Amino acid sequence: MALAEFLEQLNQLAAEATALFDAADDAEQLEAARVEILGAKSGRFKATQKLMGAVDGSDRPAAGKRLNEVKSEIEASFKTAQDRMTSGGSAGGAPVQFDPTLPGLKPQIGRLHPITQTIEELMDIMGRLGFTAADGPEIEDERHNFEALNIPREHPARDPLDNFYLSTAQKQHEVLLLRSQTSTVQIRVMESTPPPIRIISLGRVYRPDTADATHYPMFHQMEGLLIDRHVTMADLKSVLRLFARSYLGADVHIRFRPSFFPFTEPSVEADFSWNQGWVEFGGAGMVDPNVLRAVGYDPEEVTGFAFGLGVERLCMRRHGITDIREIYKNDVRFLQQF
Amino acid sequence: MIVSWNWLKEYVPLTMSPDELAHRLAMSGLNHESTTAVGNDFAIDLEVTSNRGDCLGHIGVAREVSVLWQQPLSVPAIALPTGKTPVSQLTQVRIDCPELCPRYTARVIRGVKIGPSPAWLADRLRAVGIAVISNIVDITNYVLMECGQPLHAFDFDKLTGQQIIVRAAQQNEEFVAIDHRAYTLTRDMCVIADAERPVALGGVMGGATSEVSDTTTSVLLEAAEFAPLSIRGTARSLRLHSPSSYRFERGVDPVALEWASRRACQLILELAGGELAEGVIDVQPKQPAPPQPVVLRYSQIKRILGIELEQDRVLRILQDLGMKLDSKTDQTATWISPSWRRDLSREIDLIEEVARINGYDQIPEDVGVPMAPSSRPDRHRVLSRVRDTLTASGFHEAMTVSVVDEKSSSCFSPWSDAAPIRTSMPMLRGADCLRRSLVPSLLESRRVNESLANDTIELFETAKVYLPTTAGLPEEQWILSLTSGRDFRTVKGTLEAMLEALHVTAELKAEPYSHDFLDPSCACRLLLGGELLGFLGGVSKSGRKQIGLRRETIVAELKLAVLTQFSQLIPQHHPLSPYPAIDFDFNFIVAERVRWDALAATVTQAAGSLLENIAYQETYRDAEKDGKDRKRLLFSVRLRSTDQTLTGDQADEVHRAIITACQEQHQAELLG
Repeated sequence: MALAEFLEQLNQLAAEATALFDAADDAEQLEAARVEILGAKSGRFKATQKLMGAVDGSDRPAAGKRLNEVKSEIEASFKTAQDRMTSGGSAGGAPVQFDPTLPGLKPQIGRLHPITQTIEELMDIMGRLGFTAADGPEIEDERHNFEALNIPREHPARDPLDNFYLSTAQKQHEVLLLRSQTSTVQIRVMESTPPPIRIISLGRVYRPDTADATHYPMFHQMEGLLIDRHVTMADLKSVLRLFARSYLGADVHIRFRPSFFPFTEPSVEADFSWNQGWVEFGGAGMVDPNVLRAVGYDPEEVTGFAFGLGVERLCMRRHGITDIREIYKNDVRFLQQF
Repeated sequence: MIVSWNWLKEYVPLTMSPDELAHRLAMSGLNHESTTAVGNDFAIDLEVTSNRGDCLGHIGVAREVSVLWQQPLSVPAIALPTGKTPVSQLTQVRIDCPELCPRYTARVIRGVKIGPSPAWLADRLRAVGIAVISNIVDITNYVLMECGQPLHAFDFDKLTGQQIIVRAAQQNEEFVAIDHRAYTLTRDMCVIADAERPVALGGVMGGATSEVSDTTTSVLLEAAEFAPLSIRGTARSLRLHSPSSYRFERGVDPVALEWASRRACQLILELAGGELAEGVIDVQPKQPAPPQPVVLRYSQIKRILGIELEQDRVLRILQDLGMKLDSKTDQTATWISPSWRRDLSREIDLIEEVARINGYDQIPEDVGVPMAPSSRPDRHRVLSRVRDTLTASGFHEAMTVSVVDEKSSSCFSPWSDAAPIRTSMPMLRGADCLRRSLVPSLLESRRVNESLANDTIELFETAKVYLPTTAGLPEEQWILSLTSGRDFRTVKGTLEAMLEALHVTAELKAEPYSHDFLDPSCACRLLLGGELLGFLGGVSKSGRKQIGLRRETIVAELKLAVLTQFSQLIPQHHPLSPYPAIDFDFNFIVAERVRWDALAATVTQAAGSLLENIAYQETYRDAEKDGKDRKRLLFSVRLRSTDQTLTGDQADEVHRAIITACQEQHQAELLG
């Protein structure tokens, strides 16, 4: 095919395409015109393009150049026609039918429970401080929940009314109960691991409390334990301060008030400074020598500290939740807020 | 323990303001609850930890103040007149149960005149919130609040036989207390009886028959010691808590017991007159062991507290607290604890005393703690990814209680048929079964949401179930459960997507599963790599009725341990083929009994190594065209080679192989 013949066909196609696009009255007609001219499989432009193979080799660069020009012209006139459609005839600017203020189509995304979010934050911070999370059973025997923690039989903490003791079908079972504290995990870890130890235990604990705005018979605790040579109360205070600074993202101070727990001595309540006041952090202390002995450690060789806090209380303060019962109701409107 | 500011002043000079007093006490062990102005006095409410029974009286608190402010402590000295009649001629005391009551003392005062207490005494009692009754009763309460030793005054003339027998109660013995209510006693309780009947519940409350009244002229004053454990049990089981029981539960000072008895007699003689019988009846079947010396090594202070303290400072603090220095060396000091501090029996106890009096603010908060590695257990990594996938799929995470009621416990328990483990008392509204499945709890949450008119209820939870075992601790399994309002295949797809996110390559198989709680047309067991992963299905109509659900729901319950086992937490890269793929669509008519997994297995085998993917499209049924119990399975297959561009012939060969295999193995008939 001669070059001139090819160019003639191209020019004709360009003219016809423009006419066709201009003639379209609505989007449907325009789309039909687009398919006829620009359709990827059997459009007329495609057909014309195929003819280029028949043009003499030396003429092909010229043919190709014009082919590209014509393609641009056709696309431009399609664009003009399309703009004419969407602008409703008016010249320039956004078409009136286009309402960008309509809400988007949102995929539904679920939320993690606020307790989980708080726990993840705690584990994350403690992880950076070198504490590895350790798990243990929620159903415990009296040795791990009491005896090894220096809570003798006559201690009020063992009162049947203050614990969920269990009855199992098998009578040969020893006395079991739902753990009342996560310190049980510390005992299990120390029993099976030589020092040094640096762990946190996190999980559900159970105490018979009537449910009200601030009490629930099931809640979560986080306890930290560090055992090594030369661990002092100054280390405890410093670790708690690092923790509080990480959690709050600001420089805070730690205050100790004397307290009493069977498994630590000295025992303290730890507070951190916040908004010109003090906020209760939780209980802490140096691991009692009786506890170290109970797991086979030598209190003359190693010392250690432990601390614990209630996850719900922290979570409620963090998110402004005022009633603990909301946490376990699972109203999706509540869950969606986090 | 409520402390009166004016009263406290009697024993120690108060050189500070009430606020300063409260703050410093809080920093040294007596937590401050509140301070209230009462007339010209302040009532300061202090929280006393259970190891500090010594601070349940004004003198004990005054001792703390004297140590902290370095002020002298003055305890009233008591001089009693010598009576004419020996007390042993008037009354006898016998202890039958030394394990419940190790010591009982009695004094008798005759010729007292009952009347109102003087204003100074009444004001002090009112300031600390104790009702004012009459001089004798008020004096026993006053001495209780002064030194922490509970006392009881009996109307001596109303004691049958003028004697006291301390014994264990008889089973179901009746007793009417001062509150004029009848209590039924048990054998582990201690009663104070006269020759006929119980006249007091030892250490807990006096009895109505022998209480001091306006007509009383003689009193027997009891000062005794009761076993803490028994007192606690009695007070709890009768729900009868008194200031006396509170103190006996924490242990009283055996030396202050005698002082308290004398102090009360002094005040009775002063305020109610009368004549004190000579001497005291003091029954103590077993002498208590003397306190053991405690050795304190100075080096241990630095080792535990992290700070150095001057030896003189340590000596001063412990001596101020009433410790007696027994002996000392350059490195150690040996101490005897005072009678009111039986909690100080070990070296660590003394270190704590030194620490709290010296002040915890002296301990630095900025020492360099060595770094240590920490790692995340695989279980936590898997849990994290499971939660991420499910929230991305529109599920909210729920958290429900581990203990459920009988109805919830029994409706669905796919992991165990053994009876649930029960708690000795319900946790919430009749809930006393440790759950064996999370599904009932989640469905209960679903019901609550339905009742709140929440439309979209997509919930999941990861928690433990508790399965009974025959020995040792019960089995605790981490479980993932969910409830959804979407259809079966969408929920199954969510689980499949989760497996993909965990890079599980083991085969997931679904087998028919039958359970009354699940809809038989829509329930299956899931196996992963041949191990039981869990259950998936729609809740049956009767199941929904049991829970009270209006709308249909799909539930799933999976074992997280199996997921963890097959998860690949560090995914590996596989080279991608640069060659083009060839796609085929298939439309087979097969008998209803032919399941997709069987057909897919045939296709997979027939396609061989060139198979990249097989994708189910849909099932179509038309009994008229295809015959009864027949269905069309539509799917597409993508072939690709890793080392060359596939030729048409190669692809056709696979295409034919697939058709032939499906025809041979499943009598599948190709359409189109």
